[in-house]
Amino acid sequence: MKQIIELSVNGESSEFAVEPQETLLEALRDRMGLTGTKEGCGTGECGSCTVLIGGKPILSCLTLAVECHKRDIVTIEGIGDGNDLSPVQQAFVDCGAIQCGFCTSGMVLSSEVLLKENPNPQEKDIYKALEGNLCRCTGYNKIIEAVHKASEQMVTEQE
Amino acid sequence: MENKLDYVGQRIPRKDGPVKVTGRAKYTVDVQLPGMLVGRILRSPHPHAKILNIDVSRAERLKGVKAIITSDDTIGVKHAFVDTPRYPADEPPIAKDRVLFVGEAVAAVAATDADVAEEALSLIKVDYEPLPAVFDVEEAMQPGAPEVHTSHPKVKEPLSNIAGKTESGWGDIKTGFAQADYVREDRFESHLRTHGYLEPQATVASYEPGGKLNVLTSSQGPFFKRAKLAQTLGLPFSRVRVHKAYVGGGFGGKIDLFYHEFCAALLSMKTGRPVKIEASREEIFTAYRHGEPLIIEIKTGVKNDGTLVAQQFRVINKSGAYRGTGVVVIFLAWGFIIGAYRVPNFKYEGYAVYTNNPPRTAQRGHGCPQMRFAVESQLDMIAEKLGIDPLEIRLKNARQAGEILPNGDNVYNCGLTECIEKAAEHTEFKKKYGQARSASPSMGSIRHGIGIGVSAYITGSLIYPNSSSTVIKMNDDGTVTLLTGALDIGQGAETILCQIVAEELKLPMEDIEVIAADTETTPVDIGSWISGNAFVTGNAVRVAGTEVREKLLSIAAEELEASLEDLVLKDKCVYVAGSPSHKLTYQQLVSLSIQKRDGDPIIGEGHWRTVRGEPYHPSLATTKGRWSDSYAFGAQVAEVEVDIETGQARLIRAVTAHDCGFPINPTLVEGQMDGQVSMALGHAFMEEVLMKEGRTLNPSWLDYRMPTIHNTAKSEVIDVITERYEIGRPYRTKEVGEGYVSGILAAIANAVYDAVGVRLYTTPFTPEKILQGLGKLK
Repeated sequence: MKQIIELSVNGESSEFAVEPQETLLEALRDRMGLTGTKEGCGTGECGSCTVLIGGKPILSCLTLAVECHKRDIVTIEGIGDGNDLSPVQQAFVDCGAIQCGFCTSGMVLSSEVLLKENPNPQEKDIYKALEGNLCRCTGYNKIIEAVHKASEQMVTEQE
Repeated sequence: MENKLDYVGQRIPRKDGPVKVTGRAKYTVDVQLPGMLVGRILRSPHPHAKILNIDVSRAERLKGVKAIITSDDTIGVKHAFVDTPRYPADEPPIAKDRVLFVGEAVAAVAATDADVAEEALSLIKVDYEPLPAVFDVEEAMQPGAPEVHTSHPKVKEPLSNIAGKTESGWGDIKTGFAQADYVREDRFESHLRTHGYLEPQATVASYEPGGKLNVLTSSQGPFFKRAKLAQTLGLPFSRVRVHKAYVGGGFGGKIDLFYHEFCAALLSMKTGRPVKIEASREEIFTAYRHGEPLIIEIKTGVKNDGTLVAQQFRVINKSGAYRGTGVVVIFLAWGFIIGAYRVPNFKYEGYAVYTNNPPRTAQRGHGCPQMRFAVESQLDMIAEKLGIDPLEIRLKNARQAGEILPNGDNVYNCGLTECIEKAAEHTEFKKKYGQARSASPSMGSIRHGIGIGVSAYITGSLIYPNSSSTVIKMNDDGTVTLLTGALDIGQGAETILCQIVAEELKLPMEDIEVIAADTETTPVDIGSWISGNAFVTGNAVRVAGTEVREKLLSIAAEELEASLEDLVLKDKCVYVAGSPSHKLTYQQLVSLSIQKRDGDPIIGEGHWRTVRGEPYHPSLATTKGRWSDSYAFGAQVAEVEVDIETGQARLIRAVTAHDCGFPINPTLVEGQMDGQVSMALGHAFMEEVLMKEGRTLNPSWLDYRMPTIHNTAKSEVIDVITERYEIGRPYRTKEVGEGYVSGILAAIANAVYDAVGVRLYTTPFTPEKILQGLGKLK
């Protein structure tokens, strides 16, 4: 039986009739067309489906849509401001932290949360924050570099 | 003309960065079309069985099922990666009469949604009669082993299940070994790894009533897919259009024609509606194609000073249930030996052998990591025996610029010696090597080791589609559009091609629009799987750019009444040198060209292929014929930590000194190197697809451990420049995306030995093997 839920995604609230077994990932991709959130495995192992709920990164492939009733959800489409990239996004572009791009949405969202909570992270903090996001292309080196660069950028902007 | 480079060689951010970092890049899995059906594939649960009967009647009656296909719905044409008179195609696009591996497609369904499609699969009743199966490759070769396919008729030895054989040699192997002061024989074995592309395999096929098949598919090149789809569906090439979608990684695993592609297309033809088939990660692990493990027996003879005098190889490829790229990798394995060192007397035999495991396929480096692991490990053993250091023995035998390989290829600008020297110098190799083995026990349980490995790799070869062609057209506003068949799979193909256009035309990157990888609107391209993008497609783009530039200059010369030599391109204008106000904009020149050149809006075209003048690919069976026009060389040093109590080892630092000709984009080159180092450390320490009787035991990323951020190794890259980019001239730059999974794997093995004195003959280098080597585990 379908259930009516209200989702606030990237600051916009809408109601949806969803199946009880429908995942948040399916709701985002199939109902709202927010395909920036990716499914790499569907079993919570790769982190490609990372979105933010209440400002925390979660795996949308393991989260039921009905659990998200009236929660604030941010997807990659909600990062940055129109045509302007966020400092994290810009650093990913500038540092070459993107190759195939399939893990990028999840990587960026996990990094956004890290830098919000800890504007000046050490290497070990970055490891901890991104440990749930698999990347096959980059070996992570340039992703780590990008997070450092974004951190420097954000600290400079605040000063 | 002045050769100041503004774009080539610069760290220009990738062109598709913004679209990827905002989630706007559309991959095949993201595509939704009106009326689209969901397809699913019914796969064999048996490693070897007769199909007695398939009953689809119950499934057909399920509401929402729109079509079901079996082999009866196909035209019966087989396909394969290799399809030659010697090696005719051997794979039915859907199994007929017999299944040969767990996961082989038996039927496929298109339905209104995924749940209905999956329910329909469970309602299809297939009666099987299990047949004897064989999984171990050396058992499969024995006379009397269960027959997967009849042994190749041209292989006369009394062996079973031989899919193909490569034989090559030169000099006199007997005399060579007789001349040697020291001869040793070793056997190395590699294991099964998956590619680990993050984007699952997926296809959207949409057949139009007029008879046109439109396909979006996650691949490594659209032209190969078009050819195979057209052939198996009985359509003319021109009725199949493969479109571009962003691709979430390939690494060799998305080249072949797959069941989901064929079935999506045929289901769409049957229903007249778009059909999407997406593989689950579990399906990818269990039924799709992983890399090709090799058994390598190597016998090497050297003089006391370390000079190689003879080398003999026997290589066995575990091909799986169909030939696939099995006969390619036994050819390539030969090829990846010949580039690095001079060996005057040489003999090679490679066998591709069928088993009832899933077919295998190309995987980044395609045989090179396995071969370099064997060759470089043995070389270190030889050096130790002779009392020579690992650098010296490599430098003594390393090929030099301008050498001709035994197959007739010229290595041209070979920087191998410089690579070895630079990698060693940068890591203080001589100072560090051998230190751990003389360490006192007081240093705790961690031992540090350092090791080196080298590799040589081709830059494009002649395999269909063989060549690259591009068109550059100027637009009315003075910007340009590049049409290329190249497919960017993450390596940055479109970015470097735009850098070349930008350089040839002195045009900002943002003024170049790319139309790519569309079999209908873009010219043919070699594809992102033979390491030819920078060299083959890049030169094609350069030629097209030259034509456009010359047209711009010719009109400008006329209009400005200046000689060609006095003209300068800058900021989308052509100037007279020394007279900056005396200029015409590209926009004006396009307009003038249309007026004065019979309507030519200024279009340039360029073609390129490697080994020009050679009609064909070299023989897979005999290796005769030239192979490539451009070889990359590299030396890689690994520094590892090994815990002698737990046997745990990890790569902490990798230094890659590579002769890439010149880097078109150093940031992208580093990205390739970092990724290869990571893949190699996964190969060395972490990853293994475990199989038992044809079934995969660990079909998830939880149980198949791919490197996470915690496994990151420090990766340093040293560019050894052996070539110049000159505007308007052909160049010979080299591949950077495949060869460097190889030397580093060997370097890791050698570094583990340096750390703890344990020589590893099989990958992966598990704690168990290291502890066994230390005598701490039986």
